[in-house]
Amino acid sequence: MTALGQNLIDALALGSLYALIALGITLVYTVMGMMNFAHGEFIMLAAYALFVFADLPFGAAVGCALLAGVAIALIAERVAFRPVRNADLSAQLVTSLAVAAILQNVVTAAVDARAQSVETPAAISETTSIGAISVPNLEFVTLGLTAIVLGGLGWLLYRTRTGLAMRAAAENFEMARLLGVRADRVIAIAFAISGALAAAVGVLIVLQTGQVSPTMGLTPVLVGFVAVVIGGFGRMFGAVAGGLLLGALSSLLGVYLPEGLAPFRDAIVFTFPVLILIFRPHGLLGGEIGKARV
Amino acid sequence: MSGMRFRTPRSAAASLLVPLALIAITALLGANGTPSLQDTVTTILCNLIIVIGLQVFVGNSGVYSFGQLGFATAGAYIAAFLTLPAAFALLQTPGLPHFIVDAHLGALPSILIAAGISGLLAIVVGLPLMRTSTLAIPISTFAFLIVVYNVVANWDRVTGGSSGLVSIPSTTSVQSAALWAGAAVILALAYKWSASGYRLQATREDEVAARSIGIGVMRERLIAFGLSGVLCGIGGALAVHQSGVLNPATFYFGATVTTMTMLVVGGARSVFGATIGAIAIATVNELLRGVENGASLLGAISIGEAPGLAAIGLGLILLATMIAMPNGLSGGREAGELFWLQRLGLSAAAPAPSSATTVEKQAIDRPAKGALRAQGISLAFAGLRVLKGVDLTLEPGEALGLIGPNGAGKTTLVNVLSGFQAPDSGTVSLDGVDVTGRSPTHLARDGLGRTFQAALPFPELSGVESVAVGAMGMGVSRRRAIAVAADVLGRLGLLEQARLPAGALPPGSQRLLGIARALAIEPRYLLLDEPAAGLDEAECEQLVTILRDVLSDFGCGILLIEHDMNIVMPLCSRVQVLDDGMTIRIGAPREVQADPAVVESYLGSSFLAGVDA
Repeated sequence: MTALGQNLIDALALGSLYALIALGITLVYTVMGMMNFAHGEFIMLAAYALFVFADLPFGAAVGCALLAGVAIALIAERVAFRPVRNADLSAQLVTSLAVAAILQNVVTAAVDARAQSVETPAAISETTSIGAISVPNLEFVTLGLTAIVLGGLGWLLYRTRTGLAMRAAAENFEMARLLGVRADRVIAIAFAISGALAAAVGVLIVLQTGQVSPTMGLTPVLVGFVAVVIGGFGRMFGAVAGGLLLGALSSLLGVYLPEGLAPFRDAIVFTFPVLILIFRPHGLLGGEIGKARV
Repeated sequence: MSGMRFRTPRSAAASLLVPLALIAITALLGANGTPSLQDTVTTILCNLIIVIGLQVFVGNSGVYSFGQLGFATAGAYIAAFLTLPAAFALLQTPGLPHFIVDAHLGALPSILIAAGISGLLAIVVGLPLMRTSTLAIPISTFAFLIVVYNVVANWDRVTGGSSGLVSIPSTTSVQSAALWAGAAVILALAYKWSASGYRLQATREDEVAARSIGIGVMRERLIAFGLSGVLCGIGGALAVHQSGVLNPATFYFGATVTTMTMLVVGGARSVFGATIGAIAIATVNELLRGVENGASLLGAISIGEAPGLAAIGLGLILLATMIAMPNGLSGGREAGELFWLQRLGLSAAAPAPSSATTVEKQAIDRPAKGALRAQGISLAFAGLRVLKGVDLTLEPGEALGLIGPNGAGKTTLVNVLSGFQAPDSGTVSLDGVDVTGRSPTHLARDGLGRTFQAALPFPELSGVESVAVGAMGMGVSRRRAIAVAADVLGRLGLLEQARLPAGALPPGSQRLLGIARALAIEPRYLLLDEPAAGLDEAECEQLVTILRDVLSDFGCGILLIEHDMNIVMPLCSRVQVLDDGMTIRIGAPREVQADPAVVESYLGSSFLAGVDA
């Protein structure tokens, strides 16, 4: 029973992390219709801020990471994504792939292709006991952060004018524009939030692994994409649900998979969405893409 | 025969020969160079085959796949397993079954087997993936790539794990790589110009319109996905036989970005584009790598090595292409379709044929009896009841007008009849067979043609291709499809424009082309959704003449949604009036026009009447 409780908390924590990734991707998708491949590189660059500013107090370094995530997201939007805003889905996806490749290799050239270790506060790797269950502090941080982000996003989207504009843009971009919603502003805000979410994820990953590498964004972005697909495109709730589901699956497989199959955990985790798509081609929560416009 | 063709022999020859010549020139430059240049050129040619493999799927379907390098990985490992000398195999891959270790095949059989298995893998993987949407495919194929990497990197006893395999016999020469690349070009063009290739290109141009002419989107994508898997498998197998070493990262994210850049920069829609993209980007890549290493050669200068520089350059090129030149260097055209080549006289645009021969009807066997019948169709969108128990009968050979105010449910009814929308209740039967819930593709093959309120052209296909692909959707041969297209285009007076890309035609012609496309499936029932919208007066008169001819010559039943009574009156023997999701009147055009209830519904007073009731 204790072991089960422990595993469930682990699963929830990993799922929360994945949900944060999926949220960042969905946010941009809803206002712009673009699946942003470079989101993983936003995560990576924010993480590198921790490496670069390792001399600062950790809290200050985290602040720098946050700024870095927001800044790179805004720059990428202005330089690369705005010119292809009206291109089709595939063209936008390839554009974001190009941005991802550029950012990844800029870091490779500027720092190194190999992973660099980053010192993290000792408190984060300790555990706190709740009854018989001992929970790593990092999981508390992850769960707490996710709760704050979800609450904050909910407040922003449903309680503010900006949120209303964003929801309107997500519903019908052209119409929102005609009604006076400033497209550039809404999209920039979405990218800024997405960059901040990426930074949060980057920090959490560094806290967990203690290192940064140029390719560290690849798996998270795929996780986020798959979570978004599972959850049904363009739905905040779906993205969170998809992230939780994928994280829980990955975490539980890590515990319960027989030893011989353990190395293939990622393969199994990423095959799982395909199985879902066989039965639900438009994801579990069914947002339909390219639905017949007749 | 009519002499109608998709392209002239000269244009076809140029489209085929120019890429082959480029490959030959590249190979000749390499074959006479230093061993290191030979290696470089062989690598370029292997990559070229993979890029052409990508083109077959991405270019023709318009759907991006980030997983094709997974098939190159599969091909490479299989080719390596089949040729690895026994001593090395025991050391590196102890878990490999004996019959594979003992195979000791030559290069050619190993490549062929690798190609076959990669293709088979692509079909197996594609079966579920192709069911998903246009945006989910890139993501799920990317997931597939990661799954392949994960399996190969961790299955140590069979694949050698992340350290990979060495001492694989190096047998690929510049010449053999060039021959395979040439074969890839021929195969890719043969596919692109086949009926199946055209059907897939139609789905790229407009998925909805493609389904309306009987094209199975999933099936066509799967065929191209499989063929792409074969070509990528060949590219991977050849590459491993060149380098002699292989590890899980050989064909992973970096190679995916590189090959995707090659395809996009060249222009994904054409094999010519894939060829020039692969050669051009490989050349740029070599130059950039030269700079990378050059900096390290000048050790005295503090620049040092700049790993990643080449990749940054490629990324910037890809980004710039997407922003400034989304159709790539080739503009998405084959060599024979390029304007400047036509100027040089290498390939001439085909003259429009002066006359068309009629094609015998009823080549597609369909029961001649029955009618299109809808009974008690009801449908609500999120609680809003759009159709409330509508009945409709359309006999072959008759024209039924469907009129009513905006929002009456006319288009929704046509969507239900043609399978684009499933009704909440009620049945649709076609010639006595219940077809409720059948897909548009299926219904089109059953003889149901339709047009849309928007013209939905296939912009990049020519007029004749756009129409012929309708016949191809019925599974008839290419030759016959072209004959049908020439016949239909002739009847609609579109022959003069048939050579031009459909997207370049004026709106009126695009609309007629939509009707021609629906007629090419030789429908028994034709549903026209406001065919006269946007036509001028002369074009409207022409439309009436055309539809009258269609009625008499094709013998199909026509359901005509139209506001313009000048079109409905002369054509339709019966008119059905919809208002607020219900039929309020069926009768002869004159009676219906005189009916006060109908007049009222058009004036909008039915709203008040509805409140009273």
